[in-house]
Amino acid sequence: MKKRLSFALVTALLLVGLMACSSEDEGNATSDAGSSGELSGEVTMWTASLAGEPFDSYFADLEAAFEEMHPEVDVIIEDIPQNEIEQKVLTSLTGDDVPDVVNLAPRYMINIAAQGGLLELNDLVSEEVQNSYLEGPFEAGYFEEDLYALPWYLTTTVSWYNNDHFEQAGITETPQTTQEIYDTAKAITDATGKPSYYQIINQGDTVIEKMISIANGEPIVEEGKALLTENEEILEFFTLTQKMYEEGIMPQENAEGSFSTAQELFMANNVSLLESGVTFLGPIESGAPDVYNAAKAGQPLNALDAPMNVAVMNFSIPSKTDNPDAAVALAEFVTNAENQLEFAKVAGTVLPSTTESLEDEYFTNPGDSPKALGMLEASTSLERSKVLIPPVENSSELYEIVKMAFVKNIQGDITPEEALQEITEKWDASFEKAGLTPTF
Amino acid sequence: MKTKTQTKKIILYIVMLAICVVTVGPFLYTLFIALKPATQGIYDGLLPANPTFANFVDAFYKTDFLRYLLNTVIVTGIAVPFNLLFSSMAGYALARMNFKGRSIVLTLIISTMTVPFQLYMAPLFQIAGELGLRNSYVGLAVLQVSTAFGIYFMRQAFLTVPKELEESAYLDGANRFQVWWKVAMPLVKPTLISLAIYTFTFTWGDYLWPLINTTESSMYTLSIALAQMSQNFDGGNLKLISAASILTTIPSLLIFIWLQKYFISGQTDGAVKG
Repeated sequence: MKKRLSFALVTALLLVGLMACSSEDEGNATSDAGSSGELSGEVTMWTASLAGEPFDSYFADLEAAFEEMHPEVDVIIEDIPQNEIEQKVLTSLTGDDVPDVVNLAPRYMINIAAQGGLLELNDLVSEEVQNSYLEGPFEAGYFEEDLYALPWYLTTTVSWYNNDHFEQAGITETPQTTQEIYDTAKAITDATGKPSYYQIINQGDTVIEKMISIANGEPIVEEGKALLTENEEILEFFTLTQKMYEEGIMPQENAEGSFSTAQELFMANNVSLLESGVTFLGPIESGAPDVYNAAKAGQPLNALDAPMNVAVMNFSIPSKTDNPDAAVALAEFVTNAENQLEFAKVAGTVLPSTTESLEDEYFTNPGDSPKALGMLEASTSLERSKVLIPPVENSSELYEIVKMAFVKNIQGDITPEEALQEITEKWDASFEKAGLTPTF
Repeated sequence: MKTKTQTKKIILYIVMLAICVVTVGPFLYTLFIALKPATQGIYDGLLPANPTFANFVDAFYKTDFLRYLLNTVIVTGIAVPFNLLFSSMAGYALARMNFKGRSIVLTLIISTMTVPFQLYMAPLFQIAGELGLRNSYVGLAVLQVSTAFGIYFMRQAFLTVPKELEESAYLDGANRFQVWWKVAMPLVKPTLISLAIYTFTFTWGDYLWPLINTTESSMYTLSIALAQMSQNFDGGNLKLISAASILTTIPSLLIFIWLQKYFISGQTDGAVKG
């Protein structure tokens, strides 16, 4: 009996495996445009971290609308977690299961394009379509003078502050210079007894963007040579952030410097003022309703004419796509003015990259909720926004150098002058090694 | 003398309490966040003012939890028994059978444990595609159906089984397969259970391979669904993410509690003979 049971067990195990095989993919076959010129075949689009409602319904409608326009095309839309999408695209390029359209942040786009993984769109997208996008975000799709992406949704920098803390400290206006940031933050900390200002660092890119905004039109790099030590305003920024950290005006956690830490501290009432994108309030609405209601948005904490960064989400087409015509058509369709406007309404905290959508009343008169106020300020600052850091191959190295120096500076391990000198020397060496001579 | 013993005891309890706070603390904190109602901020006090299961219900329905749970259960259901079967067969062969190149085979198997997954991820992706294992349960479980760790772990366990027991079975007319199945396997039961728990925990929480090897979100597992929630483009709802994390952890927790007696003894068994 036992022998039979043992045999049955082993057989059952093998059977489970064989049965499970039956659920495998039935095929990924796609085809090019039909001989008549009408689009046909399968086209797969990957979005980045846009799963669940309300996005599922939005994409289902989008898919149906495109399939109605092109009855021979079968659209498949899948969502991939944002942090792994670059790795997943790169891995897929080693095989045949490649998506046709991918939602990529510019830093991922540059890396994949540099490895020859993306299709050049220069001649595939008409001039009319190219002109429908805002200039700054559209330029974010370029790498080494070739177009590799079409812009989709945007976020640009605004300032976020806790109005209860502002009132407690008797502050009525957001600061516009580093000295004013110091004075404002110090007054709030004195009133609340808690840290008040947070400088997002992320990979170091946010600090670089801040330096470019502070330089206000003056280049911080000229033909591959850093000019940071010559800029008094940037030196003041490094000096005062070090002072704020030392005096407890900036929280200890600022040395870590991530966006999510900023959100957590803002939610916990341990930060009152910072610069960030419109999406900043995302988890705060549900995580800290009182703080959300007290949150207000303003223009970024710089001169009102200073250039601001715009963060762009793009759509690119992998070079191994089986269906380039349908892929381009789908990318154009998803990023057209009408669909971008609808997406911005669904998402609630992003801006469209098409000129026409921004003229809609939704952006000129969005309401008075904290998120809506953020949208209003963002659409105002969008007028002076562009991609501040050009797409260069050594960008990761540049970010890392700034991150290390900035953190050492705020912690007081080096002087502000030494920090800027360190960045200058390492950046110069990095540009020389890469053979690059950018100006920004 | 009595005071000295009592002091020792107190110190021991303090240390145990500290370890408990460090290990169980984050889990409880996540649970408290998940139980907080919409009106209470996650930093408004440690405990939920009016505990609610609303976040658990939302997490369950808003993420298509049932589908991902089913996928994860099937994948784990394939990985655990197959890993036990193949690892114990290979481990037994390496422990008991004399064949040319046995030590080389063992060294090769162990050395694969030192290679980072990212290094062979791309070729594996290609092979899985060519074998038709993309978007399939077997494809998702394939990395766990016979692991180097499992083989080594089982080999070590089989080395502790007295040879005399096996020899007497041979004398009674048993063949090698019967000796493996009827004599050796029952004696390494705690190790088998330990390996089952290891495989279960790893497969249940595996993230990168299931993500890479699926091009259809209907085949996603729970860990991917959790990543989708936490990487939401505007940061997501932390109460919902906490509730989903707890829901994802519960099966592992129940299985560990159920089998912990064997798990602990299996761990020590594996360490006896080197």
